[in-house]
Amino acid sequence: MLSSLIAWFGAPAQWSAAAGIPTRLLQHLGYTALSVLVGAVIAVPVGLYIGHTGRGRLLVVGLANGLRALPELGVLVLFVLLLGLGLTPVVLALMLLAIPPLLAGTYAGISGVDPAAVDAARGMGMTERQILFGVELPNALPLMVAGLRTATLQVVATATIAAFVSLGGLGRYIVDGQAQRDFTQMAGGAILVALLAIVLEVALQGVQRAVTPGTRARPASDPATPAVGKPDTVTAGG
Amino acid sequence: MIEFSDVRKAYPDGTVALQSLSLTAREGEITVLVGPSGCGKTTTLRMVNRMVDPSSGTIRLDGVDVSTQDPPTLRRGIGYVIQNAGLFPHRTVLDNVATVPVLLGRSRAEARSAAGELLERVGLDPRVGSRYPAQLSGGQQQRVGVARALAGDAPVLLMDEPFSAVDPVVRADLQDELLRLQSELGRTILFVTHDIDEAIRLGDMVAVLRVGGTLAQFAPPADLLAAPVDDFVAGFVGRDRGYRRLQFVGAGSLALSSFPTTGDGWLLVVDDDGRPTGWRQGDDHVALGTVHEEGESLRSALDAALSSPSGRGVAVDEDGKVIGGIEPEAVITLLHASAEPAR
Amino acid sequence: MRLFGADILPLAAEHIVLALVPVLLGLVISLPLGWWAWRSRGARRILLPLTGVLYTIPSLALFVVMPIVLGTRILDPVNVVVALTVYAVALLVRSVVDGLDEVPSEVLTAGVAMGYRPLGLLVGVQLPLAVPVLIAGVRVAAVSSFSLVAVGAIIGQGALGALFTQGFERFYTAQIVFGLVSILVLALVVDALLMLLGRLLAPWAAARAPKKQGV
Repeated sequence: MLSSLIAWFGAPAQWSAAAGIPTRLLQHLGYTALSVLVGAVIAVPVGLYIGHTGRGRLLVVGLANGLRALPELGVLVLFVLLLGLGLTPVVLALMLLAIPPLLAGTYAGISGVDPAAVDAARGMGMTERQILFGVELPNALPLMVAGLRTATLQVVATATIAAFVSLGGLGRYIVDGQAQRDFTQMAGGAILVALLAIVLEVALQGVQRAVTPGTRARPASDPATPAVGKPDTVTAGG
Repeated sequence: MIEFSDVRKAYPDGTVALQSLSLTAREGEITVLVGPSGCGKTTTLRMVNRMVDPSSGTIRLDGVDVSTQDPPTLRRGIGYVIQNAGLFPHRTVLDNVATVPVLLGRSRAEARSAAGELLERVGLDPRVGSRYPAQLSGGQQQRVGVARALAGDAPVLLMDEPFSAVDPVVRADLQDELLRLQSELGRTILFVTHDIDEAIRLGDMVAVLRVGGTLAQFAPPADLLAAPVDDFVAGFVGRDRGYRRLQFVGAGSLALSSFPTTGDGWLLVVDDDGRPTGWRQGDDHVALGTVHEEGESLRSALDAALSSPSGRGVAVDEDGKVIGGIEPEAVITLLHASAEPAR
Repeated sequence: MRLFGADILPLAAEHIVLALVPVLLGLVISLPLGWWAWRSRGARRILLPLTGVLYTIPSLALFVVMPIVLGTRILDPVNVVVALTVYAVALLVRSVVDGLDEVPSEVLTAGVAMGYRPLGLLVGVQLPLAVPVLIAGVRVAAVSSFSLVAVGAIIGQGALGALFTQGFERFYTAQIVFGLVSILVLALVVDALLMLLGRLLAPWAAARAPKKQGV
C-alpha cells in the first residue's frame, strides 16, 4: 500500500500533466477562494449591521444552527440539478456553507466589543460610522478571522465533493479512484486534501494571531483564557 | 485553639509568603488576620485546613499537628467561608448547606432538616431552601455560605474575606449577624480581611501582617488603636484612630455633671418620668442631641456632648431617665486616664 | 416503506445509528481526555492543537483513509463510524475542557475546603456543572454527524445520503429534496431531544438566566 502510494506521488506525470497535482490543487484553491469571497461579501456587512445595532441576533443563531444540519452533499447535487453542471451551482452551494461561520464570527466580534469603549467613543463625539470602523471593527478582527478560518476549512473540505458533480479539484482523485477501483489514487487524493486543509488552518491561525492584540504576552493555551477561535463551536467542519 | 509555631511559607520561585509566624487563636474567640494584599494572611488561613502546606513550622489544632491528618478528613471538621460564598450552583440552598453532613455520612433527610434550622439561625427564611443560589442576592448567598460552614458542627471556622464582595450596608448587617451568632455559638474563628474597620469591629484579637509575611502587631483592637507599635501599624490603622478608640473605652467612670437651672440660659426639659424631651433657651424650644445611655462607650458619651445644642450632653439610665450631664472635657480627661493601656 | 425505489425506513435507521454511535463513543473517549487536558497544562498544549488538526481533515478524505489505518474493507460501515468518532472526539475534548473551565474557582475552593476528595469533586461538582457546555458540544457534534454521514454515499456508505447520489444520477430533484428534508428533520429532532436532556440534567442552569445576580 505504502509503496504504491509513494510510486503514485513520485510519478512525473502527476506533477506536469494538465490533470496533475498542481492543476488540481489550484482548482481546489480557486473554488474555495471564490466561494469564501462571495460568502464574505454577503456575510460581513450583514454581520457588521447586526453586531452594531443588535437587531436580528436570533437570525444569526438560528441560521448557524439550521445550516449546520443541512447535508452539504444534498445541497450540492440539488443546486447542480436546478442550475445545470458548471461552476455556478458549486460556488453557490459552497458559499452557503461559508456564510454561517463568517456571519457568526463578525457578529460575535462586533457585539463582544467592550460596551464601555463604545460608550466612551460615542461620548467623545464619534459618529456611528466612526465607532463601527474605528472602534468596533479593529477589536472584532480576531473573531472575524476565526470565522474566516472556520468557513475556509468547511469549504475546502466540501470542495472535495465538487468532483462528484463533474468539476475538478483534489476530489477528482477520490471520485475517479472510486469509479476505477484504484484505491491508491483515492488515498493519494485524500492525503492531499488533508494536507491542504492543515496548511490552510495553520496559515489562518497565524493570521488570527497576528490580528489579535496582546497574544504574545498571553499564551493561547493558558487555562485562564479560553483560547481564541471559540467560533469553532459555532459550525462544524465537513 | 489554633497555634502557629514558627510557620514559614516560601514558594519554589523564591517568593516568601510568610516569614515566620507564631500566633495563637484562642478558643471561642474571633481572631482577625489583617494586612495589605501580599501579606500572607490568606496563606496563613489556608494552612490550617491544609489547602496550603507550610515550608516549615507546625500548626496545631486543639493540640494536634494538622500535618499528621488526612486533608479531606481534616477539612470536613473545619468550617470554611469565602468571598462570593462559593456555593454550588447546581444544588439547592438546602443541599448546599447539607454538603458536609452528607460527606460525613449522615442521611440526606437528616442533613436537610438540620440545614433548614441553620438557615433560620443565619437569618434566612427557610423557604429559600428550595431555591438555587443564583436566585439569591449576594448578601443572602453569603448567609447561606455561613450556614454551610456551620453545618458540620465544626468547632473551628475559617473565614476568608467573607464579606468583601457585598455592598457596605449588607456588609454591616452580616457583621452584626456574625457577632450575634458567635455570642450564641462561641466557635473558634480565624477571620481574614484587608479592611481594618472590619477587623476592629469583629476581632477579639487582631493580628496585623506586613507585606512579605511578618507579624507587625497582635493585640486586642482597642490596644491597636491606642498604641500602634510602629509607623506601619499606625498608618494601616489609619485616620481617626483616636476617635475610633473611644468605642473601646467604657464610660463607666465618667464624671457626670449636674444640670444648673440658671447660668448659660439652657434648660433641659424632662417629662413626668424624668425622661429628656428637649432643650429650652428663653422661649425657644430646641430638639435634643444624641443621648448617652449608661453602659455605652465613651464614643457615645462624646457624641452626646458634641451634638447637644447646649454643649452639654445628656446621660440617661436604662429606663431613659436623666442621670446627669456630660461635659466634653470630662470625656477627654477620662480618655487620657485610660491612654496607658492596662494590660 | 418504499420511496424512490429504496426502502426508506431501514435507511433512516441506518443513518441514525451511523450518526449517533460515533457521538456516543466520542463522548466516552473525550471525558477522560478532556479531564486530562483540563488538569495538565502539558496535556492541554498537545491535545487541543491535535484535536484541531483532526477536525480539519475533510470527511471524505478521512472515510477513504480509514481502511489503510484500520485494515478494514473500503465498503465497511466501520470506516464511517470510526471517522465520525474522530470528529466527535475532536469537538468534544474541547467541550469537556471548556465545561470544566466553566466551574468557578471559588466553587472548587469551597469543595476542596469542605473535604471533597478529587473523584468525589469531579463526579459531584465539576461534571454536573459542566453539563450545559457539554450538552452544547454534543448537540453540535450530533447535528454535524447527521450531515456528514451523507457524504459517505460517495464511497457507497451513506445511508440516506444514497438518495443524493441516486437522485443525481437519475436527475430526480424530488428524491434529493426528500433526502435533504428527511436528514434535516432527523437532525433537528435529535437536537431538540438533546436540548431537553440538558434541561433535565441541569435544571439549575435555567434558574441562572432569569434573574441577574445582585445584592
